[in-house]
Amino acid sequence: MDPVRTEVMRNRFAAIAEEASNVAYRTAYTTFVKQTQDYQVALASADGEFFAYPMTAGVASSVCQNVRGLADEIGVETLRPGDIIITNDPFSGDALCTHTMDIHLLRPVFRDGRVIAFGWAFIHASDIGGSVPGSISPTNYEVFQEGVRIRPALLYRQGVLNEQLWHFFADNSRIPDLIWGDLCAMMAGLALLDTRTQELCDRAGTAVLLDSIEDVLALGELKTREAIAQLTDGVYEFSDYLESHGDDGHIFIHARMTVAGDTISMDFTGSDPQMRLALNFTTGKRPHPFMCLPIVYWILTTVPTVPFNGGIIRAIRTYAPVGTLMNAEFPAAMGNRWVAVMRLYDAIMGCLNQAVPGGVAAAGAGQAGIISVSAIDRRSGRRHVSVVEPFGGGSGGRVQADGIDGIDQPTSFLRSAPIEVVEVETDLVIRAFRYESGSAAPGRHRGGFGMHIALENIGLPAVVTVRGLDRFRFQPWGFAGGACGRPAEVVLNPGTEAARDLGKIDVLELRQGDVLRMITPSGGGFGDPFLRDAALVAEEVREGLLTAARARAEYGVVIGADGLDRAATEAVRAVARPSPPLFSLGPVRLALEARWPEATSFALACAVLTRPPSLRSHVMERLKSDLAGLPGPIGAAAIHTALAAL
Amino acid sequence: MIRIGIDIGGTFTDFAIWDGDAAGYTSVAAMKVPSTPPHFADGVKAGLQRLVDQRRIGRDDELLIVHGTTVSTNAVIERSGPPLALLVTSGFPDLLSVGRLRVPKPMNLFSRRAPPLIPRHRVFEIDERLLADGRVDRPLGMACVVRSARQALADGAAAIAVCFLHAWRNPAHELAAGEAIRSALGDVDVVLSHAVWPQQSEYERASATLLNAYARRAMAGYLTEIDTYLATHFPRARLLVTKSNGGVMAGHEATRMPIHTLLSGPAAGVTASAVLGAMLGERHLLTMDMGGTSTDISMIRDGAAMVSHDGRVGDFPIMMPVTAIEAIGAGGGSIAWLDGRVLKVGPRSAGARPGPACYGRGGTQPTVSDAYLLCGFLSADAVLAGDLHLRPDLALAAMQPIADALERDPVAAAEAVVSVATANMLANALPFIARIGLAPAELTLMIFGGAGAIHGPLLADEIGIGRVIVPRVSSVFCAFGCLVSDLLYDLVRTVHGDALTPSGIAATYADLRGQGAAWLETQAASLAPVFEYAVDMRYAGQSFDITVRLDAAAAETGDAAAFATAFHAEHAQLYGHSRPGAEVEIMSLRLRVRGVLPRPGAEPAAISAATPPQRSRPARFGGAWHDTALFAWDDLPVGWSAPGPVIVEQETATVVVPPGFSAAIGRFGDLILQRRQ
Repeated sequence: MDPVRTEVMRNRFAAIAEEASNVAYRTAYTTFVKQTQDYQVALASADGEFFAYPMTAGVASSVCQNVRGLADEIGVETLRPGDIIITNDPFSGDALCTHTMDIHLLRPVFRDGRVIAFGWAFIHASDIGGSVPGSISPTNYEVFQEGVRIRPALLYRQGVLNEQLWHFFADNSRIPDLIWGDLCAMMAGLALLDTRTQELCDRAGTAVLLDSIEDVLALGELKTREAIAQLTDGVYEFSDYLESHGDDGHIFIHARMTVAGDTISMDFTGSDPQMRLALNFTTGKRPHPFMCLPIVYWILTTVPTVPFNGGIIRAIRTYAPVGTLMNAEFPAAMGNRWVAVMRLYDAIMGCLNQAVPGGVAAAGAGQAGIISVSAIDRRSGRRHVSVVEPFGGGSGGRVQADGIDGIDQPTSFLRSAPIEVVEVETDLVIRAFRYESGSAAPGRHRGGFGMHIALENIGLPAVVTVRGLDRFRFQPWGFAGGACGRPAEVVLNPGTEAARDLGKIDVLELRQGDVLRMITPSGGGFGDPFLRDAALVAEEVREGLLTAARARAEYGVVIGADGLDRAATEAVRAVARPSPPLFSLGPVRLALEARWPEATSFALACAVLTRPPSLRSHVMERLKSDLAGLPGPIGAAAIHTALAAL
Repeated sequence: MIRIGIDIGGTFTDFAIWDGDAAGYTSVAAMKVPSTPPHFADGVKAGLQRLVDQRRIGRDDELLIVHGTTVSTNAVIERSGPPLALLVTSGFPDLLSVGRLRVPKPMNLFSRRAPPLIPRHRVFEIDERLLADGRVDRPLGMACVVRSARQALADGAAAIAVCFLHAWRNPAHELAAGEAIRSALGDVDVVLSHAVWPQQSEYERASATLLNAYARRAMAGYLTEIDTYLATHFPRARLLVTKSNGGVMAGHEATRMPIHTLLSGPAAGVTASAVLGAMLGERHLLTMDMGGTSTDISMIRDGAAMVSHDGRVGDFPIMMPVTAIEAIGAGGGSIAWLDGRVLKVGPRSAGARPGPACYGRGGTQPTVSDAYLLCGFLSADAVLAGDLHLRPDLALAAMQPIADALERDPVAAAEAVVSVATANMLANALPFIARIGLAPAELTLMIFGGAGAIHGPLLADEIGIGRVIVPRVSSVFCAFGCLVSDLLYDLVRTVHGDALTPSGIAATYADLRGQGAAWLETQAASLAPVFEYAVDMRYAGQSFDITVRLDAAAAETGDAAAFATAFHAEHAQLYGHSRPGAEVEIMSLRLRVRGVLPRPGAEPAAISAATPPQRSRPARFGGAWHDTALFAWDDLPVGWSAPGPVIVEQETATVVVPPGFSAAIGRFGDLILQRRQ
């Protein structure tokens, strides 16, 4: 690794990636690219690892994916200059695509007659057909409801469009023109990647370019290993839960982290099998970023000079048994998978908190609703789908900072839309978009506030869909003495006689005059609230975000007529209190685990996974109902008895 | 009339002087005096006094003083403004804190949004609501307004900003709130969002409104001092202040609307580049201003500076059109270090104190400037800033650890440091250039400020720019920009969601012209306004719009077909593809009003065949020492030329001409580098 050339070429690669990504970003049509940045354009080596990846915009986690599986579906040796592969199939291409709404394109970069790199782009298309506008419904239970699906195929052959393939795709979308616009945006980015790579070969020489690709990847791996070596060796476990739709069921996620020297691995054995809900995703055979996101973020945070490329994942191993939620098989539905990715994030963070001396962060809202509204445009008469706002909650308190207010860490790239734009584009009036007062979970570093949004429909009946909702019951956990965050709440027409607590909504019709109020979870607290700077607590009381009574009860901070009463505060705080558990899990989870200990859920998941895929959800339901009648904590042995009795 | 441009920097206050009756650009004189922070006005006064002493100006001369100041910017960045209050529509008390939600570094586990300019307890929810089309949904609660304002004042607020939803479309509630506060509470400083910048997007507009109120005190204090001084010493002087959009405005306007000065610092240099570029017949320019810790770049396409609608000052967005500047964290003071097995340069900088090791002020870490010295780009005999003798021995000692780690000699290590610094700049510069849809080969690089003339040609060579210009007044180029700027005023009307007709568009532009002409009347009564039209458009369904320039005929007739044609062409230019025939949407109509001020013209100097004295010293290019010709710029006559490598020295700057380039003195006395075929 040449110490100078590596840095020079790393900069060259970064410039190429940023330029191409910007073109796709600025010209895309998919309705929420601006807010959710759900797209990317990057350059991978001939082996499929990303060596030139944008940092300033777009989806970041894919940097740890590999495009080679997609190319291999077609056969690299059959590729020609000017070819572009298209796919949106999560069941092929080694899970580069993780749900059908993501359209991926791959364009080989040829030099001297051979493939030296792959230009790659993807965009989350606004609609690819299926059961609902936008193609995503949280209650979809098989992939056939989630639009048309194309396994890797050549959209372009030597620069010529395969029109029949395109027509097939277009005919199955509600918005084919916009999809074509998205593809044009991506292909403009891909063309740039090719041109710039050729220019760099002309300048530096192809051999130097190829050597440098390996150098920057090796540097990424090296810096990552340096970071991992700082972790405490050991095996760490943590569990968390997703909530099912329409009942009080739960989905068990189990994470096991092993740190040994400069290697780290994640194992999700014991997690529930894939569900008949759109919460599943595929991860393929290689290590997958969705199974190690907090680790990647932690590395980027503690080693800011790590080159942002596929070398990072070389030092990380991930595993989940085939058939689990996170390594789902055909025909799993996946449209709403991001909330499951966020719950994996929480479970992995629970492990990381044990591996990093002092911990990292408490759990955040663990969800990011995307509110969209579908209504008839009065002027054009056409149905129009608009994204209203991303709808996140607070992040967990952190070892060196409070949680982020209003948005959780793994979705902190999301942008909110101006209210004034939303109200022009829809017939909604946003009555409130604010923090939920009093929602921040106490901690030395408090959790981030949950959001409070209220929408009124003043136009024709409109259909509101919110995907990504969760944590209506299982609260974001606190860490090291911090309290857990508050759960989510969705109420239709609050404060009226017709008020209705909706819980986790899927698809909702809003009539004229209906008001929908949603409050998101707040993040868990980090550290003992009695150690929080009393002045910060007093400031929050002054700002109207915390009551004086709760300041006293939860923080031991006394607010007098003139603000902070330091003497009284010291007296309150001096009284000894019992030391809290490492994790504050909240009453719902504690009650559940009193009946269903983690070891039992683990054993249940493993047992069900031994059954044929088509029977698993039935077996799971049946076992849960059979065992529910037993008294006291349910043991793993009871599962095997019940299973044998089926 | 004598026109004087003044630009204040951290170290020097620069002056550019043009005696309007004499010759043009070639007669513009430069002068530098030390800056006097934090009382910057003292330096300005000292400079003007020196001009009097030199008999360049006299008490009774008619002076047009154009001034660039960063007092407002500093107030925002240092958060040293007065306490303010904000009145918002009920339901949105966290408007400032939520911002656009996104955190600055989403992958950093400890990232967070910057705290708002004012605390939440001075944000007041007001009972009122307008709908998106401007209709009243809930009438304004007057009692609520007055009660809130009274509480804000009791809490120490020096001014009250008001930003209600949809006020850009219907200002009635904001106007009524302002009236109510003043009539109930007397002479209160109330700033209304629609009057600051009437554009859709409540957070950005609220932010602009607050910033305007926030910067006023610093700006008013400063300009009052300058005004008082001028009135006493130069009764016939007029004061203008530079704007972030590359233009200027009257001093009284700057006091009222300091928001328009917040990004004016680097903008003047870009305006200067555009003017000089036009004289030299350059269509497209990349500008570069390299300092100790960072390098500002900008672009000019077809003679017009690139405009941005998403500028930032400190932690806050600026939504009005400003000259687009990209700040790159690489400068002469950037520190070289080894990150494990890889050489890195920056982002840490030795700054002005202690500065590079070779300054002999206690710096021991190797910087880019130390590398320049070791590579022979800077002279060991040079005296910087009047009294600074460079120390090659200290540069060498500082570079030694890098050399040891790289297993190279210190000069080779220094060259590697320069290469990595160039690569850092490139990583930002290339994507920035791409944003305007031009290839580097189509650009000419115009360099000004400190270290730029050393590194600029190296960067040009690396990214494929074939032509470089170092202006003869490059050391005071922003001050020169003050000399050549016009009065400029931008207007916008959001029409997103409106049913548009040609006559409606024409009427909107007519209305904007009326407002623009009225503004110009308040700045300089005698000037005829020049109108420049633009429109923000997008393909129906796209997430972003682009601003497209329009010719007057199309705009004044509301010719939507012509708008679309211009849009398709611009989309193709910027992004390499377009979809003629696809539906387009018009988002906003824009108008820029220009009041053309007298400026130095393009009068070439006489060509001379004189042979300048020549020395030489070794300099390092491409891994080898080259015996490099060395000239003093002051000795070089118009028409002179020489093949690179060449070094041209000036009192305040050194120009490095790499081997692949030739150098010449152009017809106005500027140094022009051209890549040899």
